[in-house]
Amino acid sequence: MCEKQSDLTTNPSHFENQNKTNDTPTHMDLQWDEYKDKIKGFKFFDPHIHMVSRTTDDYQNMAQAGIVAVIEPAFWVGQPRTGLSSFKDYYSSLVGWERFRSSQFGIKHYCTIGLNSREANNERLAEEVMEILPLYIYKEGVVGVGEIGFDDQTELEEKYYRLQLELAKEAKLPVQIHTPHRDKKRGTERSMSIAIEHGLDPSWVIVDHNNEETVKSVLDQGFYAAFTIYPFTKMGNKRMVSIVEQYGAERIMINSSADWGISDPLAIPKTAALMVSRGIPHDVIRKVTYENAIEAFAKSGQIQVSDFELNTPSDPNEKFHGNSVLRGGQLPKWNQNSLYID
Amino acid sequence: MPTSYSSYFYPLLKKHTTESEMKWLDSIPKDNPNALMTAFVKAPRFLSKTIIQEELEYQNLIPNLPGFQVNHWNFVRLSRVWFLSLLVTLPKDELIEKIETLFDTAELNELVALFSSLPILPYPQVWLPRATDAVRSNMGFVFDAIALHNPFPYHEFPELAWNQLVLKTIFNEKPIQMIYGLLERNNQNLSIGLVSFVKERWSAGRDVPPDVWQLLVPYLSEGELYLVETLFKSQRKEDVIAASLICSQSELNSYQLLGTKHPKFPEEIKNGKWDWSKLGNNH
Repeated sequence: MCEKQSDLTTNPSHFENQNKTNDTPTHMDLQWDEYKDKIKGFKFFDPHIHMVSRTTDDYQNMAQAGIVAVIEPAFWVGQPRTGLSSFKDYYSSLVGWERFRSSQFGIKHYCTIGLNSREANNERLAEEVMEILPLYIYKEGVVGVGEIGFDDQTELEEKYYRLQLELAKEAKLPVQIHTPHRDKKRGTERSMSIAIEHGLDPSWVIVDHNNEETVKSVLDQGFYAAFTIYPFTKMGNKRMVSIVEQYGAERIMINSSADWGISDPLAIPKTAALMVSRGIPHDVIRKVTYENAIEAFAKSGQIQVSDFELNTPSDPNEKFHGNSVLRGGQLPKWNQNSLYID
Repeated sequence: MPTSYSSYFYPLLKKHTTESEMKWLDSIPKDNPNALMTAFVKAPRFLSKTIIQEELEYQNLIPNLPGFQVNHWNFVRLSRVWFLSLLVTLPKDELIEKIETLFDTAELNELVALFSSLPILPYPQVWLPRATDAVRSNMGFVFDAIALHNPFPYHEFPELAWNQLVLKTIFNEKPIQMIYGLLERNNQNLSIGLVSFVKERWSAGRDVPPDVWQLLVPYLSEGELYLVETLFKSQRKEDVIAASLICSQSELNSYQLLGTKHPKFPEEIKNGKWDWSKLGNNH
C-alpha cells in the first residue's frame, strides 16, 4: 500500500512512461495458435505428466497437438496421504481409471509406480507402502519404478530410495528418478552414485528435472537425462532448445510434469514447435520428444509401439474398443465456443 | 468344500497357448496362494492376449453354470480366472482375504477378470457389494464384465440392483440382449423406470434404443398408449417396427387396435422378418 505520495516514485506505474518515444515494444510473446502448424504430423510421447490433476479438456488438447502416449509417475498429490488406503486408491487410479480415461481420447497411458521421496519421511506409512508395492509394479502398463529419489535428502529418503532400486532390479524395470528442487546438483550426483552402487545399468535409469548444471554429468555417466518444461520453475523451452543444440539428441528426453501446479500439458508440442522454428532437424526433435522416451521405458517390456503408432485415432470421437467413458451418449468433443450446450 | 471348476479351464488353455506359455502356466505352484496371486498380476508378462473364438463348443463352458461363457475373452483373462478357480479350496476367511486384496489393488484388466470369476467363486453374498459397485463403474470394460454375459447378477442381485444394471446398460448404450436372464428378471418396477427414461430422452430430443421396448410390453397400461402412438410417428424405421412389435405382443385391445392402423410391419413380423433381437444393438 502506498501511504505517502513519495512512495509512487519508488514504485512506478507501468504506465508512467507511456508518452515517451523510446517505449516501442521490443519483445512480443509468440502465440501458440500461430505456431502449432509447425508440428503437424509429429507424434509426441510425454514421459512424465500427472494426469490425475488434469481435466478432460487437457486430454482433448493433447490429442489434437499430437500427443499419443504418456507416462504418469506416482507422486505427491499436493497434500500428505494419511493412510495406506489412500496410497492403494491412488496407485489403482494410475493403473485403472486414469488409463481408461486417457484411452477415451486416443492417448495410451502408462505409469511408473513408487513411493515418492516426500512421503518416504513418514516411516510408518512408508513401511506399509513398501509391502504393497510388489503387487503394483508387475501390473500391465507399469513401465518403471518411479518417481523416486530425493527431496530434502534425508536419511529416510535414502533408505526407501535404495529399497526401491532393489525392487526395480528384481522386477527388471527401468527407474525414474526425481531430482530435488533444492540443492539439485548434489542430490542428482548422490542419486546416480547410489544407483550405480546398487548395480543398476545407467541406461535403465532416467534422471529427471535436469538443468544446465546437471546435464553433462548425467549424460557422461550413461544415464538418460530428462528435462521438464515447466513455467517459472524447472526448465524453460528456450533454454531447452539451447541444450539440444549443445548436447544433441542422444539420451535426452523432454516432458511436461504437468500436475496440480501452474504447468502446461502442451509443453512438449510447444517446445517442438520452437525447435522447428529454430531450425533443429526433425529427426533430432523426434528423438527428444518421442523416440528416446520409448527406447528408455520399453525396456520394461510393457510398451507396444503399435498401440499408438498404428491407427492412432486422430479423431477424439473414436471410441476405445466400443467402450466409452462418456455418460448417456455424450460426444467427446463439442463446440466450446457455442453459447448453446446441447 | 467348495467346488473348484479349474478342470474346465485347463484343456482350453492347453489347446491354445504356445509351449512356452504353457510351461509358465504349469510352473505356478497351484497349492501356494501367494504364488497364484502374483501369477494373477504377472500374467500379461508371460501370456499373449489372443482372443478365444470357440463359438459352439464353449458356449457354455461349465455345464452346471448356464450363462457362464468365455468366448471372446483373451488368454490373460482366462488364465486369471483359472488361477482364481484354484484358490477356492482355501478356508473361507483366507479365500475372502486373498480375493479382497486382489480387488483392492486391481488394475483395469484384473478387475475384469475378478468380476468375470464371480460365478465360479463360493460365498456369493460376500462379493455382492463389489458386484453392485461394478455396475456403477464408469470404466466400460469393468461394467461389461459384470453386466454382460455374466450370470452372477441374474442369480444374486436384489431387484433394485438388477434394475439399475439394466437401466445403466441402456444409458451406456450397450446391448441389453447380452444381459444374462434379461427377460426372466423383467419386472414392474423396471418398467416404471423405463417409462420415465423414455420421457426424459424424448424431452431432450434424443432417441431410445428400440429393443428396450420389449421390457415394457407386459406392463404397458392404457395410460401409456400415447407413448406407442408417438413411437409410430418416429422418423426412425426401427422405432416404428418396435411399435408394431409392442402392439402384436400386447394383450390389451387398445394396443392391438393401434397396431392394425399401421399395417406395414405386422405382416413382416408374422413372417419372422422382425423380432426384438433384430432391433438390438449387438456390438
